[in-house]
Amino acid sequence: MTALLAIEDLFAGYVSGVDILQGLSLKVETGSVTVVIGPNGAGKSTLLRTLFGLLKPHHGNVRFAGQEIGGREPASIKALGIGYVPQEINVFPLLTVEENLRMGGWILRRDRAAFARALERVLDTFPLLAQRRHEPAGALSGGQGRMLSVAREMMTAPTLMLVDEPTAGLAPALVAQVYELLQAARKAGSTILLVDQNVEDALRHADDVYLIDLGRVRAQGPVREFPLERVSALIKECLLG
Amino acid sequence: MFSIELLIQTLIAGVIIGVLYALMALGITFIYSIVKMINWSMGEFYMIGGYLQYLLIVEWLGADLWWVAVPLSALGVFLIGYLLEPVLIKPMFTTAVERKDDYAIVVTIALLLMLRNLAAALGGPYQRTPGSNLPTVMLGPLPESGARFAAFLCALAAIALFYLLLKKTWLGLALRAAAQSRIGAQTAGVDLFRLDQIAFGIGVGLAGLAGALLAPVFMVFPTSGVVTTVKGFEIIVIGGLGSIPGALIAGVLLGVVESLGASFIAAPYQNVYGFLLVVLVLLARPTGLFGERVRQA
Repeated sequence: MTALLAIEDLFAGYVSGVDILQGLSLKVETGSVTVVIGPNGAGKSTLLRTLFGLLKPHHGNVRFAGQEIGGREPASIKALGIGYVPQEINVFPLLTVEENLRMGGWILRRDRAAFARALERVLDTFPLLAQRRHEPAGALSGGQGRMLSVAREMMTAPTLMLVDEPTAGLAPALVAQVYELLQAARKAGSTILLVDQNVEDALRHADDVYLIDLGRVRAQGPVREFPLERVSALIKECLLG
Repeated sequence: MFSIELLIQTLIAGVIIGVLYALMALGITFIYSIVKMINWSMGEFYMIGGYLQYLLIVEWLGADLWWVAVPLSALGVFLIGYLLEPVLIKPMFTTAVERKDDYAIVVTIALLLMLRNLAAALGGPYQRTPGSNLPTVMLGPLPESGARFAAFLCALAAIALFYLLLKKTWLGLALRAAAQSRIGAQTAGVDLFRLDQIAFGIGVGLAGLAGALLAPVFMVFPTSGVVTTVKGFEIIVIGGLGSIPGALIAGVLLGVVESLGASFIAAPYQNVYGFLLVVLVLLARPTGLFGERVRQA
């Protein structure tokens, strides 16, 4: 497999001179699910925000499909085929479910046929959303809201999906559903870079693992090299210093 | 002296002026809901709309073609706002470290002073009017100024067009989405800074439209936007900041209350009645009639 995303020596943060990411390097292979784990404050969400252009890197390279994308605006990154599902439920509560999906297909708006096909495909994949397409998204439950967040991203069938803590705050019964959604996105052809605190479930669905701490990679490799006991020990090490 | 005829005439006058006030408030609340910033220079864009209408009618088109001058004036104000936003407002959001909206608000106050003084420098302190050839309109047995009534109808048409833009177009969908979640709009691939630029242009364009429509009714002069700005802010306090239906309903309410007060209590205190309404609404519902509580502490 070839690396779809290659990050080298990345420094980024929210305030100039205070970098959360401290020379982070990482690769995501085409078609894989790569999970990034680590203690709170390790820089996991900062990494995804930087990759999507919400934060500007202060140093380092970010190459997507061979193209340098570091420092680009989110709209330009989205147009390249990178989707971002943030940690909070990413829906527009006063828009209907269908309007939310239309927003998901924003970059297809000039191609009516492609947009109509995408909407049909997503509504076929998520029959529950099809049933409630004319209701406001704010009326959906937490799990359904998360489903809509993922479905919105799937409107453009992104080549790479950046997914931040998809199960945060969800009832345990809904967690399995969320991972099924991610698997559906993968089957549809998306490569996934997943940040997750739910280590056990994340490892079960991932191909590769990166453990990061203080903005640097502490350990990496295929998921088979990271049994839960080893991951727990590594995280404990990070926390205790 | 009270009479049913006077009451109806007062109510009609209140609704007419209220809809025009609402146009101004709509611009303020629209910019706030997208850009998340109060634009204190709205009155000056209203003033520019009035001057453009005056210039177009007096210098080129004549009073009969007022209906051509109105959209041109609004478009002119839209373009001025559209071009100024990336130069004056956007840098506050891209370079300031914290409290970006505060920096942007200070810039709009500076813009207010600059535009007002520029108008005084270019046009002098004189009060001007483009005049109107429109005849008095009879609403049943009641007479109404033709210019006022035409302004009312145009404002209603503009509000309807604005509603269609928001509800029926991709741009409107993106504007409604960004008003609810800027990060959500960004993840959809919307170029937010471009959207801010368009929203700022539309918002000040609405103020410019109000200025153009009211140019033959009130005078045009460098500080002519002051009163309408105050009215605009009264309306968004009454209706709720960020609420578009709130701006429309509160605009009409303010117009009606001011008219009733002026007709049946005392005309010199017309502006006081609006402030009393603001106080009453704040006492009963501090977030305004349609506003939502946001700040937690």
